[in-house]
Amino acid sequence: MEIGIIGIGNILLRDEGVGPKVIEILRKNYKFEPEIEIIDGGTLGLELLPYIEKYKKVLLIDIVDFHKEPGYIGILKGQEIPPYLKTKLSLHHVGVQDLLEIARLMGIMPEELVLVGIQPEVIDVGLDLSETIAGKIGELVGVVLEILKNWGVRCVLQCHQE
Amino acid sequence: MARLVIDPVTRIEGHLRVEATVNGGKVKDAWSSCTMWRGMEIVLRGKDPRDAWAYAQRACGVCTTVHAIASVRAVEDAIGAKIPDNARILRNIIMANQNVQDHIIHFYHLHALDWVDVVSALKADPVKTSELAKSISSWPKNSATYFKAVQDKVKAFVESGQLGIFSNAYWGHPAYKLPPEANLMAVAHYLEALDVQREIIKIQALLGAKNPHPQTFVVGGQSTPVDPESQNALNADSIAFMLKYADMALEFVEKVYIPDLLAVASFYKEWAGIGGFNNFLACGDWPDANGKMYLPGGVIKNKNLAKIEPLDHKKFKEYITHSWYKYSKGDVGLHPWEGETTPNYTGPKPPYEYLNVEGKYSWGKAIRYEDLPMEVGPLARMLVAYGLGHKDVKEVVDMVLKKLGVGPEALFSTLGRTAARGIETLLMARKTKDYILELAQNMKKADTKIADTDKWDPKTWPKECKGVGLHDAPRGCLAHFVVIKDGKIANYQMVVPSTWNLSPRDHKGQRGPVEEALVGTPVADSKLPLELLRTIHSYDPCMACGMHMIEVREE
Repeated sequence: MEIGIIGIGNILLRDEGVGPKVIEILRKNYKFEPEIEIIDGGTLGLELLPYIEKYKKVLLIDIVDFHKEPGYIGILKGQEIPPYLKTKLSLHHVGVQDLLEIARLMGIMPEELVLVGIQPEVIDVGLDLSETIAGKIGELVGVVLEILKNWGVRCVLQCHQE
Repeated sequence: MARLVIDPVTRIEGHLRVEATVNGGKVKDAWSSCTMWRGMEIVLRGKDPRDAWAYAQRACGVCTTVHAIASVRAVEDAIGAKIPDNARILRNIIMANQNVQDHIIHFYHLHALDWVDVVSALKADPVKTSELAKSISSWPKNSATYFKAVQDKVKAFVESGQLGIFSNAYWGHPAYKLPPEANLMAVAHYLEALDVQREIIKIQALLGAKNPHPQTFVVGGQSTPVDPESQNALNADSIAFMLKYADMALEFVEKVYIPDLLAVASFYKEWAGIGGFNNFLACGDWPDANGKMYLPGGVIKNKNLAKIEPLDHKKFKEYITHSWYKYSKGDVGLHPWEGETTPNYTGPKPPYEYLNVEGKYSWGKAIRYEDLPMEVGPLARMLVAYGLGHKDVKEVVDMVLKKLGVGPEALFSTLGRTAARGIETLLMARKTKDYILELAQNMKKADTKIADTDKWDPKTWPKECKGVGLHDAPRGCLAHFVVIKDGKIANYQMVVPSTWNLSPRDHKGQRGPVEEALVGTPVADSKLPLELLRTIHSYDPCMACGMHMIEVREE
């Protein structure tokens, strides 16, 4: 496998959990040829380094503060992903940027790296996405599938036998 | 009087912020304001208690397994489930492996750069660095060529203008005391530790079926089958696989972490008198077959190692005098089983300059034990064990004290806290191997039971019950409290280690451990409070679990 998709986020904080939710949809509804690895990255951390290292192409899905309206979807590539948090009081401040920074230092960056982000509406304790983000999730999945197609992956919708 | 603020993200609430006043080059007073993961009861109320662990471990990205363990233990305690021996051992392996990995990452990737100056490493002589490395350890990566290559790599990084993880406002600060060669050696090990941590956590991935957020816990035991005859279970190959990584971890700790710790500490002995606290609490963990904990629990009051009191969680109380909450009964102390979480934010609207420290100033509640603030974590565990005459602990602690030429009183400090973490890592790296071998012994006896399902059916539970799950996690005592009614969760509270360490003042005006530890810290330059970060980081704070948002700004 040359491609890994990682959905990042905390499913206990409503819109924060959009990354893993997209992963769930991709797993359930699609088959991919050639096969790709679909990873629920959860709440992140250095544990994700092996995945960053393993694939030639990595696609990340996460919430991003674009300073736009909730539900705005943006695509960031490689160097466009902003630099990381400078003052660290805790290892728990390891964000996506830190992870990539460390990967770069270790020389294990993938050839291609794309981050698909969505502007959240509500980050508060709860298991459900806000209405705005829930309404956008189809579009978000569409953006991810589009990138995969450009990478030469066939995405086949699965029929579910009830 | 200067008032300094250390705050990584001033725009949002929900992280750690420290304010301190400095007078005559010393910290006069300090306030710690933090977020707390206080939403579990909202997420879990009405849910099946057998699923709680899967939700609970999603609270955090660094300590994923610890919340799962505390959660299954809480529910097992409530419904009276007894886990089989293999499940106990599997959990011990997972906890020990997590402990070692977590501490290595903490020392090298969060804490080391408080003591190690990366920019100074660029000036080091690789030949002398090699001599230094050879003089303290038999670790094979110690040639001048090797250190030269590391130096070139870091140079390229710095020259590209993208310091990345090394961009730190403090390089060249007068509080850095290591010679350039020691700095270069430490930077090399910083990079090596990144590789090592990635490898050794494979034990977790094997036992948890996935990482982050392992999937193999179950109320009543574990769900990883153990069967030496099967290809699809933990078998002899799995034992060999785990031993390989356990050996790798132990070798790194013995030959890199501990020598580095001693080398770095020897240049910073004045920190054996800075940043200490008086009261310590450990719940203990790593039970043996008879239920005896390898690292014992206990409470130390006022540094008295001669009198270790047994721990009783019923003496936990949380106060909100200085926290942004309201209690229905007013300003009282509540045990977590009776815990209430009604937010009442009265702080300034962000962005703000200072908090109102006279009033409420933190999202953390002030948790107290018999109304005293308590430090939790590796230092608390090592002190409790040392006080109780624990043979393994005493041996390593005494070796470290002897090498540094300091007495046991030096443990009550920032240096002691950092040393205790290393000491514990060494012990847990050894224990990881012991537990893997213990599992192999059980396999030989054809003991393959991994879960007790007698209590799986909610019909077997009392109509109402409550339980507590304690786990002495890398950062300290972690406690989950669950109340179950009619087979569903009625209340769920988590008291995380940082709740203890980073607590604000309480109803009596007593400072929390970090607040107290910071008082008296020398500050060379109040614009660059590196010295404060040393003490804050030595507690390995655990904040902002689960909020990772990237911000993109249009230029």
